[in-house]
Amino acid sequence: MAEVSIDGTDLVVRMAGLDKLWALKSRLVIPLANVRGATVDPGIIKERKGIRAPGTHLPRVITAGTFHIDGERVFWDVRDPDKAVVIELADERYARLVVQVDNPADVVGMIEKACAR
Amino acid sequence: MARPRTFDEVAVVESAAELFARRGFDAVSIDDLVGHLGVHRHSLYRTFGSKRGLYLRALRAVRKQNSSAIAAADDPLRILCAAVVSEGIGGLDLLLMAAIEQGAADPEIAAEVTGAFAELDAVTAALGDGTMSTATLLGLRLRARAGDDVARLADEFTGRTQTDR
Repeated sequence: MAEVSIDGTDLVVRMAGLDKLWALKSRLVIPLANVRGATVDPGIIKERKGIRAPGTHLPRVITAGTFHIDGERVFWDVRDPDKAVVIELADERYARLVVQVDNPADVVGMIEKACAR
Repeated sequence: MARPRTFDEVAVVESAAELFARRGFDAVSIDDLVGHLGVHRHSLYRTFGSKRGLYLRALRAVRKQNSSAIAAADDPLRILCAAVVSEGIGGLDLLLMAAIEQGAADPEIAAEVTGAFAELDAVTAALGDGTMSTATLLGLRLRARAGDDVARLADEFTGRTQTDR
């Protein structure tokens, strides 16, 4: 699970507990200027994930780490797909983040408001 | 390099507008969008940023379409009247759904909707009070969506006051 917050002009995504290990990443900091939007998307878990490197993929248990698909890098940290949020980025190492958060609707509202277009 | 876009963005925005107009923002999932629009999930995110990003695009496209249809028409009231009684789902429905569902919670969407309503007011001003006339026509649209036959009322409302003038 991830904790998403806004710190000044940055979006901060912190992996909670053991997810640091599975995702091999404890924290991501992204300038809000490079955040294009966020969406609640429980269905994304059924999508093709691509090639994992590095990270952990136990289908139906946990998807965590970096995945390569269609020439893009996607960061995953999801156990419970009902709480999956997709954060779209621009000009970053990752094209998008797919992370599980406690309160998906609130997180999406916060991000969409912060990156108003 | 990311895979290049291989879909018609305008057509995708148009079908998304129809889906949102029919069901509203919350009831449309990304699964629905991917299924209806024939666009890959990752392409959808790459192009529009988020579901709300696509929704805003749809809303702005509908508003632009409305105002250019109005500008091009000899009799814009007749076009508006046709939209009110239409059996299909159209731009007016997206505006109404957006106003009800998103308006209070989302200032950016509220601004688009009130802007679009003001553009309608400029047309219906020909009937007297623009705001009240738009309100009546939007109300008739709601009745039409609920299954009422509003054709005669809409004709009377737009026709009668016109002949009075």
